[in-house]
Amino acid sequence: MKKLIILITCLSLTQITYSQLLPGTLDVSGMPSFIQSVDDVVMEAGLDDTTVGFESNFDATIIGFVLDPLLLVNSELMCEANVFRYSVYIHTINAPAGLIFEAKTTFNSGLRFPTVSTYDSLPVQPLGPRDLTPSNGGSYIPVPNNGSQAIKIFEFVGCRTEIPIQFKVKPSVLVPGGLSNFDIYYTVVGSLN
Amino acid sequence: MKKSQHILTIIISLFVANCFSQETIDASAINLFGGGQEFNTAVMELQRIAIIDVEPDPGTPTTTTGTTLEAGKPILSSGSPSTDEFWLNYTYRSISFQNAKIFAKSNQPIPVGMNVIIQIISTANVGGVYNPPPNTNPITLTTSNQVLINDFSSGYTGDGENTGYLIRYTIENPSFQSLPAGFEIIFEIL
Repeated sequence: MKKLIILITCLSLTQITYSQLLPGTLDVSGMPSFIQSVDDVVMEAGLDDTTVGFESNFDATIIGFVLDPLLLVNSELMCEANVFRYSVYIHTINAPAGLIFEAKTTFNSGLRFPTVSTYDSLPVQPLGPRDLTPSNGGSYIPVPNNGSQAIKIFEFVGCRTEIPIQFKVKPSVLVPGGLSNFDIYYTVVGSLN
Repeated sequence: MKKSQHILTIIISLFVANCFSQETIDASAINLFGGGQEFNTAVMELQRIAIIDVEPDPGTPTTTTGTTLEAGKPILSSGSPSTDEFWLNYTYRSISFQNAKIFAKSNQPIPVGMNVIIQIISTANVGGVYNPPPNTNPITLTTSNQVLINDFSSGYTGDGENTGYLIRYTIENPSFQSLPAGFEIIFEIL
């Protein structure tokens, strides 16, 4: 009986899926740090330091997006019953002029949430498989220092967690040496198709 | 090519262009219902950079067996406008917007009665970003630092010949003395 109720709940929520988006929570963790070593510095006099660049760890930032629980239905069930497409855009604020800042992730990085879903066994999956697809073929994408031009880094279908994002910085010598900081914004936009 | 093939080519080109185009949004104006926005703060620490070299490279060209090529020619013989001129390139990143200077000196005393004089005779900029405030007065080298380029901010001159500072050296040697073995002119950013 309990299973029947859950099934009915899921089916009813699935109906909602195809009519409107549902609220969810974006989780962002990690404190990216870019410490330039002597080996990361341009070696040929006359060239700019942007010709070299250096990378963060592959998981400098980890993000995830899951649907919020609704009444007695937890996030896992909500995500199983409601599958949307999510696009992830990134921009920076207060990055120094002359800094080329790039981001990427890899194909199908992160974890499906829940790991197994009835959606996966549907003969026709309306939004395709619950995969993550990086933009630009998974190569680095320059991130604008301007919220009005946040750029898409990847998209995924269904809820997903533990998505690693790697960064690369190419600082011009016109960027002052020493310590500085800037903010990296992650914007997730859901869609029905 | 048939008309249908033209159309097919155009459609495929548009499709490919669309695949590689970058999607952007106004993240400050978008409706975030069904999505979300968060941020984290990145910390960045960059090295001070102060590197300098001369072009063409003054290293003596040698074969793999160590024998000198084109014996009899001066080291600065290839590519430079004349054999008594060379180009100075630098890349400089400051800490706390602190300007720098380029100094010149010899690594050992020059024999009495002999003078080695260097002078910036022009500047050029090919692919660089820098403000050239040179000291164009002739400098008679000693073992003490003398200012060649004064008070410049972060920048880079571009790499290779025909960019940066063109420097001419002159040797006054009325008594036909020799420079000491291992004699070098040292350029340094401080």
